[in-house]
Amino acid sequence: MELWRYLWRRFIQIGITFFVILTILFVLFRIAPGDPVTRMIGPEMTTEDAVRLISQLGLDRPLWIQYLYYVRNFFTGNFGYSFHYGQPVIEIIWDRLPNTVLLFTSSVILSAVVGVFLGKIAAWRKGKRSDTLMTLGALVTHTVFLPWMALILIWIFAYRFGWFPINGMISEEIWLDPSAGLWIKALDVFHHMVLPLLTLFLIYFGSYLLIMRSAMLETLKEDYILTARAKGLKEKVIRNHHAAPNAALPVVTSVGLSLAFSINGGALTETVFSWPGIGRELVFSVSNNDYPLAQAAFLLISAVVLVSNLVVDLLYAYLDPRIRY
Amino acid sequence: MIPKKKKAVFFTVFFLGCLWTGVGFGASKRAAYLKVGLFAEPKTLNIWLASDRWSFSVLSKIYQGLVTRDPETLELIPWLAETLPVYDPQTLSYTVTLRDAEWSDGSPVTAEDVAFTGNLIKEFKIPRHYWRWNFVKAIQVKDAKTVRFVLEKPMAIFLSRTLTTPIVSKKEWEAVAQRARKAGKPLTALMNHKIKNPIGNGPFVLKTWKQGAYLLLTKNPHFFGKGLKIAGHVLGPHVDGVLFKFYGTSDAAILALKKGDIDMYWWSVQAGYLGDLKKNPKITLFRNERSAMYYMGFNLRKPPFNDVALRQAVATLIDKDFIITRILQGDGERMDSVVPKGNKFYYCRPDTLWGAGLSREQRVKAAYKRLVEAGYSWKVPPVDESGKGVRAKEIRLPGGAPMGPFTILTPPADYDPLRAMSGTIIQEWLRAFGMPASAKPMAFGSLLDQVKVRRDFDAFILAYGKLSLDPDWIRAFFHSKNDKVRGRNMSGYHNPEFDRIADLSAATMDKKARRKLICDMQKILMKDLPYIPLYTPKMIEAVRNDRFSGWVNTLEGIGNIWSFCLVKPIRP
Repeated sequence: MELWRYLWRRFIQIGITFFVILTILFVLFRIAPGDPVTRMIGPEMTTEDAVRLISQLGLDRPLWIQYLYYVRNFFTGNFGYSFHYGQPVIEIIWDRLPNTVLLFTSSVILSAVVGVFLGKIAAWRKGKRSDTLMTLGALVTHTVFLPWMALILIWIFAYRFGWFPINGMISEEIWLDPSAGLWIKALDVFHHMVLPLLTLFLIYFGSYLLIMRSAMLETLKEDYILTARAKGLKEKVIRNHHAAPNAALPVVTSVGLSLAFSINGGALTETVFSWPGIGRELVFSVSNNDYPLAQAAFLLISAVVLVSNLVVDLLYAYLDPRIRY
Repeated sequence: MIPKKKKAVFFTVFFLGCLWTGVGFGASKRAAYLKVGLFAEPKTLNIWLASDRWSFSVLSKIYQGLVTRDPETLELIPWLAETLPVYDPQTLSYTVTLRDAEWSDGSPVTAEDVAFTGNLIKEFKIPRHYWRWNFVKAIQVKDAKTVRFVLEKPMAIFLSRTLTTPIVSKKEWEAVAQRARKAGKPLTALMNHKIKNPIGNGPFVLKTWKQGAYLLLTKNPHFFGKGLKIAGHVLGPHVDGVLFKFYGTSDAAILALKKGDIDMYWWSVQAGYLGDLKKNPKITLFRNERSAMYYMGFNLRKPPFNDVALRQAVATLIDKDFIITRILQGDGERMDSVVPKGNKFYYCRPDTLWGAGLSREQRVKAAYKRLVEAGYSWKVPPVDESGKGVRAKEIRLPGGAPMGPFTILTPPADYDPLRAMSGTIIQEWLRAFGMPASAKPMAFGSLLDQVKVRRDFDAFILAYGKLSLDPDWIRAFFHSKNDKVRGRNMSGYHNPEFDRIADLSAATMDKKARRKLICDMQKILMKDLPYIPLYTPKMIEAVRNDRFSGWVNTLEGIGNIWSFCLVKPIRP
């Protein structure tokens, strides 16, 4: 009963927060410098052309009327048409979203699994050479400038060795070949994914390693670890079954939120690797004042982050019996 | 539980399999398409909505106009039209006869299609095209291959701008237009119509567009130019198709070119890549002139740049040759007029070249002399009593008040490093002269908003790329009637004499007489200097030379319709 009450309260909070975000997004895009029409018209076009375009896009109405239309459209599931693509915004987002989710969710999961595993080992071997190496490696890769790392990896593995494609998500040779089956196409996508995934992994696994190491070091000081040792349990059992699950709690929060934020894609990663995801569209829509596309993309991110926060909170309670709602 | 060894073997085999799959396909199945790398993906194939150059890169292969330019002479020549139409001053009309041409679906291109296109633009007032059709009073279909255009008044741009408009198929667009008319916002409905399979009249047709990955055009079997000799070239196309691939960065695209993933990178190659590319025997670089103007503009609506003497002094202080040598690394042409030198017919050398050929000290002295004559003074003048140039302090306006700080807006370095660096260097020259100048890089959209919409600025550095060879745009950019919010006269330049000549030039149908008027306009502008033209960068394009040959050099580079109609595979 308590849980249901808690959930109900959270849903109301999420609804209010979302509405505030909805409004802030509208205001932010309208007060931000830049004009959607200036980028769409050529230098030789007349002022009358620009005015006509503004009217067609509905930008000539008073702001409060635009806002009312915006809210009404949102509640009717109509996010409008992109100024530049001329397509329904929802179509563009649904087209790009799976690509972003595939790459970034894989990278978060891979980074988290490896980061947690190595963080656990590093903490267990605190002060030894392996700990120093892992901690140092994590710090270095985590602080490297992402586009630089991406370009270096492209240069080595795609250009010099020719093992992987330079960019993109699919090869036209395979996708234009009618004899290529689903399995080959799936492998092709995986083949293109290796370098961006490796880049993201190298950048992000370090943070999970460091969080896990730090949490594990704290956990190892707890009385129940001492008790486990006193009971004569094997070191491996203490590490993996007693210390690690408790130390992993902060990582759960971090992974949960990273998964949520992963849907905004990494604009830099997607740009360098020409990965056709949401991140590139976000950059394009914001820099070209494509209001409908930018608003819808940010709303989607907000919704996912808000819901993920709730899920992480519930998961926390599930993993840690001391927490009850 | 799966034993560890088995797990390791499985993952190793899976990984190697992936590698083999990708590498194997890449090596063995190279299609015979011309692969062109674009910096970004086209946004739309709806020709009425398209506003980005990537969409036009593709659309220009699908839709053609009635006339085009000869790649060597740059003269207008018939394209879909059989001959160049002749102006009839009595009836203010042009009559165009079409070649035998077909749409990509096999139906004939008729005068109805031409009339439909013009009327569609006029009816919907389509923004990118309406300005070049709004003076056409009537479009009369005489027979299946003859169409007559009656103008409201003589307009010199008719041939070069109106007749270069891409013609669309009535069959394809009539129903779309019908639906759009019934919509609340007809123009929006027309522009938002999604094109899946455009019916074109160009050398290529859309085969497939895998969004985010590639776009494939294949040879149009109905292309009217196939086998025809036009402008001395027997047209193809000789390639099976053109495959466009999209790269978010030049770094990735250049690597793809070197690796052989693409045959051409359709974007001007920046100086930093040239050294490496020159060493590669499989890559050829093409350098061509551009019809572009990179310039510094002023806000003439307020002090201090409402004073022509100050603008002339700034023009004298700017060392264009230095900018070209040091920033463009020699790959550019100094501009002495608003018309680029590549436009050989209309370019006119102005009477004054503002500092050309002078040393820094001579420039400072000349600018100092000009401003002293105009009543300016300094706390520490840029020329000392012995006549030597020194670093000046605090320039004062003719009334004696110190000049307030002013800003030179530039695009940011990540958008255009050349313009951003030019802004910084001009700032230093002006500061050394005692002017409180600051270069301020600003996001491109914000910069345009500041200059065109808010009109709250002192000076800016911007550029016009791909300027039409018919310089009617001079009239558009500097006529006083265009000094309004979102107007094309961004500087707020007003000169009744200029306006008079500009209006006259627009209506002068005789080419030589018009050239004289356009020269006069250039001379007035170079005296009044609402803009200081700085430079025209070269168009440097890189292609691989081991798969295709036959690129056609012309103004604006090799990425032109002629190249795509003439490039041939190199037989092994």
